[in-house]
Amino acid sequence: MSNGASPQYDVVIVGAGVSGNLIAKQLGLAGKKVLILEAGLPVPDSREEYMNNFYLALAKTPESPYPALAGRTGSQQNPVGVLPDPSKLPTPRATVLSIGKAPDVSYLVQAQPWIETHDPKLPPQNPPPDANGNIRGLQFSSTFERNGGGTSWHWLGTSLRELENDIQLQTKYGHGVDWPITYPELQQLWALAEKEIGVAASTAEQEPLEVVGLVYPTGYQYPMQSIPMSTVDDAVSKGIAGLQVPGTLPDTPGGSDPTMYNVFVTPTPQGRNSEPYDDRRVCAGNTNCIPICPIQAKWDPTVTLGKALDTGNVTVSYQSVAYNVAVDGTNATRIDYYVWSRDANGNLTKVSKSVTGKIYVLAAHAIENAKLLLMSNNWNGIANSSDQVGRNLMDHPLYLSWALAPEPLFGYRGPLATSGIESLRDGEFRKYRSSFRMEIGNEGWNFSKGDPYTTALDYIQGTNNTGTNDGGPNGAPQRLAGVQLAEKLNNILTRQFRIGCMFDQSPMAENRVTLDVTNGKPNNVDGLGLPRPKVEYGLDPYTMEGFRMAAYVCSQVYQKMGAKEFTTTGMGSAGDFTYRGVNYHYYGAGHVVGTHRMGNESGSSVVDASQRSHDVPNLWIVGSGSFPTVCTANPTLTLMALAFKSADSIIAALGS
Amino acid sequence: MSTNPSTPSEATLQAFADMSAALTGFQSSFIRPFLDPVNLSGTFYSFAVSQVGQPRMDALLAAFNNLNNQNPKPTPQQIADTLLETSLDAPSLQAQLCQSIVAMWYLGSWYTPGVLGGNGFAPPALQVITSQAYTKSLVWNLAQAHPMGFSPFVFGYWSQQPASLQTFGVDTGNGGGQ
Amino acid sequence: MKKTITVILLTVVAATMVLMTSIPTTMAPAQSNPAIVLSPNIPGDATFGPLPTNPTNEQKLLAIQGDFDIYSWNTFIALNWPPGPDGNGDPNKKIGQNGDNDTVWEHYRDVADIFLPGGATPSWNGPETVPTQCKAFYKPGMKILSQVGKTPTVLTDFSQPFNTGPLIDQNGNYTRYDILVNKPMFDYILANKLYSKAGQQAFKSEVQFPCGGPTGPEGAIMVKSSWKVISPADRGRFHTQTVLVYNPASQNPKYAASCSTKLMGLVGLHIGHKTDSGAQWLWSTFEHVDNAPSEADIGSNNTLKPKTYNYYNPKCSTKNCPPNQVPPRPWNPTKLSAFHSQIVRMNMFKGNEFAFQSAAARNADALQLLLGVNSKSVWRNYELISTMWPTNTGKCQATPGDPLGTPAPNFLANTTLETYIQGMVPNVSSNCIECHNNATMTNAKASDFTYILQRAQ
Repeated sequence: MSNGASPQYDVVIVGAGVSGNLIAKQLGLAGKKVLILEAGLPVPDSREEYMNNFYLALAKTPESPYPALAGRTGSQQNPVGVLPDPSKLPTPRATVLSIGKAPDVSYLVQAQPWIETHDPKLPPQNPPPDANGNIRGLQFSSTFERNGGGTSWHWLGTSLRELENDIQLQTKYGHGVDWPITYPELQQLWALAEKEIGVAASTAEQEPLEVVGLVYPTGYQYPMQSIPMSTVDDAVSKGIAGLQVPGTLPDTPGGSDPTMYNVFVTPTPQGRNSEPYDDRRVCAGNTNCIPICPIQAKWDPTVTLGKALDTGNVTVSYQSVAYNVAVDGTNATRIDYYVWSRDANGNLTKVSKSVTGKIYVLAAHAIENAKLLLMSNNWNGIANSSDQVGRNLMDHPLYLSWALAPEPLFGYRGPLATSGIESLRDGEFRKYRSSFRMEIGNEGWNFSKGDPYTTALDYIQGTNNTGTNDGGPNGAPQRLAGVQLAEKLNNILTRQFRIGCMFDQSPMAENRVTLDVTNGKPNNVDGLGLPRPKVEYGLDPYTMEGFRMAAYVCSQVYQKMGAKEFTTTGMGSAGDFTYRGVNYHYYGAGHVVGTHRMGNESGSSVVDASQRSHDVPNLWIVGSGSFPTVCTANPTLTLMALAFKSADSIIAALGS
Repeated sequence: MSTNPSTPSEATLQAFADMSAALTGFQSSFIRPFLDPVNLSGTFYSFAVSQVGQPRMDALLAAFNNLNNQNPKPTPQQIADTLLETSLDAPSLQAQLCQSIVAMWYLGSWYTPGVLGGNGFAPPALQVITSQAYTKSLVWNLAQAHPMGFSPFVFGYWSQQPASLQTFGVDTGNGGGQ
Repeated sequence: MKKTITVILLTVVAATMVLMTSIPTTMAPAQSNPAIVLSPNIPGDATFGPLPTNPTNEQKLLAIQGDFDIYSWNTFIALNWPPGPDGNGDPNKKIGQNGDNDTVWEHYRDVADIFLPGGATPSWNGPETVPTQCKAFYKPGMKILSQVGKTPTVLTDFSQPFNTGPLIDQNGNYTRYDILVNKPMFDYILANKLYSKAGQQAFKSEVQFPCGGPTGPEGAIMVKSSWKVISPADRGRFHTQTVLVYNPASQNPKYAASCSTKLMGLVGLHIGHKTDSGAQWLWSTFEHVDNAPSEADIGSNNTLKPKTYNYYNPKCSTKNCPPNQVPPRPWNPTKLSAFHSQIVRMNMFKGNEFAFQSAAARNADALQLLLGVNSKSVWRNYELISTMWPTNTGKCQATPGDPLGTPAPNFLANTTLETYIQGMVPNVSSNCIECHNNATMTNAKASDFTYILQRAQ
């Protein structure tokens, strides 16, 4: 302690997101005094403002409801509205609209996209691989929020459990690293998370996935009945009946897995109400999970925050940006933070404060946690004897494919995704290539092409930006009117669907978050004068071979269904890459992991299985940043499960 | 009747609505119902005038009224094809304005007449006109669905086939509408 | 003649007429002008007067809104009429003739007595459920105004729907809520065994509460009331009850169960009624006139007058008392709260000015009638905010393609009941029909616009 005084709180938590709110709740229930420092604005009393932001947004991206907003007026120069300058914001964050842009728009400082920097006299091409076959200098394309409630305001709700082999990738397949936790322990923790969130599923419906190592303890019941599958799910499921694909394609580097795997659809366990639960409404299929559920049928972290506050032992200090965790010897002794506000003229002002606790928890998101650790101790960093802080940055890079079904299957309805193809998530092939899950989208070509806008304007204006409008003479686009226009759009929109494949990307030490500084000076700062995160990112052949497989599987699915594929890649934007002569495009899934990975060895990991720092015994660093590998399930359920374990270990460390 | 010059008369609004019904292929009752507490016709009429000026709107409505008063009366499809000039290679300024009006009803946003998309992307919208323009936008009816973020349906509807396109308001009989 | 014309229009035009079988069209013959009357007869439905000739959209809406507002006042008067021995309004008495009175709706069935532990079968006339902690306070023969021969009301609920927050008065007391349903609604629940989870699970049809018609008996009616702790000196200004305020034990926040007797004044009344013209129900909402100033009042500094509000302190600046904020958690209704709600009525009728105009006119008419009975009638202190009605619907069933019925006005809130969603954002700001459209039974099946069925055990 700085002057021998008692700590002001039992625990100080940085970040009011999934992990922070859950840990605060558990601690509050155990009678511990907790302060949450939340960088961003408070949870609003109702979601009117956020929904209104969404309705008026020109580009309805995941960040669109949440501050800081894009402008609401579009032009050729700024087609999605003027984007705010991160150097003027107190809590800038990564956004979809800023991917590939320079630091005056992009909070994350990244290498300029290859397509922007290479010689314009050369034909369009994507960055070449390095000597190891890795492609470097790619854009990290996942985003996050910094406000009360955090990023999972806009999670989809997908609540899949990891597979048995996901957490022992090294032992089973000689790739990546193992998790320092057992599957039975995770099963117990997942049950707690599923109850907290309110996950709707049926173990009976998940039984076919035992083949990939998804097993439940005997008699386990989910809190709520499962969400009905959509008409899209049904059409895909029936259309692919009997489909099989090999584990690897011919000429896969390193080896082959010729086993034929069954391709089938299963409903997805989801964190949205299929019954009245927890004083929240039942899902009405607003098809808006990302970016925001209008009726809170989908759980979000503000639900848990409310329960944390109900304990009477938790306080939240909003607009409080932690910038230094002071460490004295081995222990953390205080957190320094800025409280920011805007004066009557809208100018940003800040006041520096400090707070002390017995235990400190960093729950600010994988990228912000890394940034805070690296900034601490005069930018020398703390808790980093392993040199792994910020490293092993991973995402689920997402390969998107889309098609027109032969018959209407009625997308744009129901939750954004209600089923997936999970049956290809595990197998021998994981020695040679990345695994992936396949998410069946219920939203037509909304993600794929910005539909129904792009298709509607194609047929109104006579353009062919979607690829379907080539029915005029000599393949020219048609320009239609009245009922003919309406019926044509009906014909197209009701047959649109898409599949997103999410890859178990390799942990790579060179994929990392550092501070954007040169010679001890920040190159770019935010509105509070804090350095910005610099991100270096790329893909390895293991992951890219997964893309190759996914493209094949998607095409097989479409072929079997009699659907016509419309996937395009190489659009000349950030996210393009070429692998073995084929152009691909990846998106970010919003699943940011790895930057403070857990492990048993302090030399190669930052935290232990309880997410307690190896180096600083009263410091916990929590969230998906602790994942040693990204595995094959969406991370939110697992990161909440781990937070339960962390909460228990913190309570134990506090003693009675 | 309002004496405020900037408030359009009943007749003007009804003409705008009837024209919009023909252009969009929707039944009049979906464009301007008998009782209209949302009054998108009024909102869209005023917004379009604010963008292109009163004379261009007056000229367009005059053209519509001329067509609509012909004997024999053209069908809504014929009116739509005529005003949107679907048989011409390059639509006139007036036809481009009609395109923007269709886009208002379908998408709830204003697209500058004559500005096309390219490279796989739609043209930029100037703005979403109002939140209700979005939540009542009609392209989602063409998908037999609902605007993302505004579902009037109940739990589980997505596992059932939707109602017909006609129930969703399209004038599929093609002989209806006024 | 009218019928023939209507039929021809239906077959020829897929447009307006098919929708308007209950609400008047220009083709309907003029009916006698509906009016607010002092009567114990509960209207089965709204009735409609003629429309002006060549009406604009606004004029049509204003006229029909007026008819619905008249219906709302007639319903308010009849429901608040003093009951006779059979529970119906006593024709030998008049509302407010002695200032305050027992009311018909307070003899409806409380939802706490319908959805019983273990899904037990409820009864219309059985004793009310009195929690253990309250039994000590209730003594038979206790003189409680308007509770003659009846066990006192037990008020429990204190948080607004979906646990969005409580409303706390200027003395730190929590506002309480209560929901009761009339016999037709109760009978439907009983007959179809919807009072239990098992019964709801076994029910294979669609929930369809009975519709009232313009000449027939009323349909299903549900009443939600909001109550504020008052002092005896306030009696003359409120409809009052001495009630048992019961706080069940809570785990989080942690507090033990408790019960106390309180004098409470009615501050808000929602009346939902399923009718032929209201397939999505008709939603009438009334407030005590002193609840809160409006946005406009504050803007014009009218609040500088020494007026006392139920939920607003004129002496506290906007900076120190930002309006319409949810009280900070934890919410513990067993203790007085340091935080007092500072409530302002927001204008939710922009673009729907007809709603405001109609309510003002009908309130003036009703006030005259009520004062005519007794100038000290407590009922003079209640005003209609508005009535939400579906503009596009069929007789007792939704028009295909428009499940919500395109309600008018677009938004509606009671400052005591939807305090924190007074806005104009679709699907989030208060809209009776939009929100209640999300209502289901315990098994997620649609429950015909009522949330009460999800209380089944």
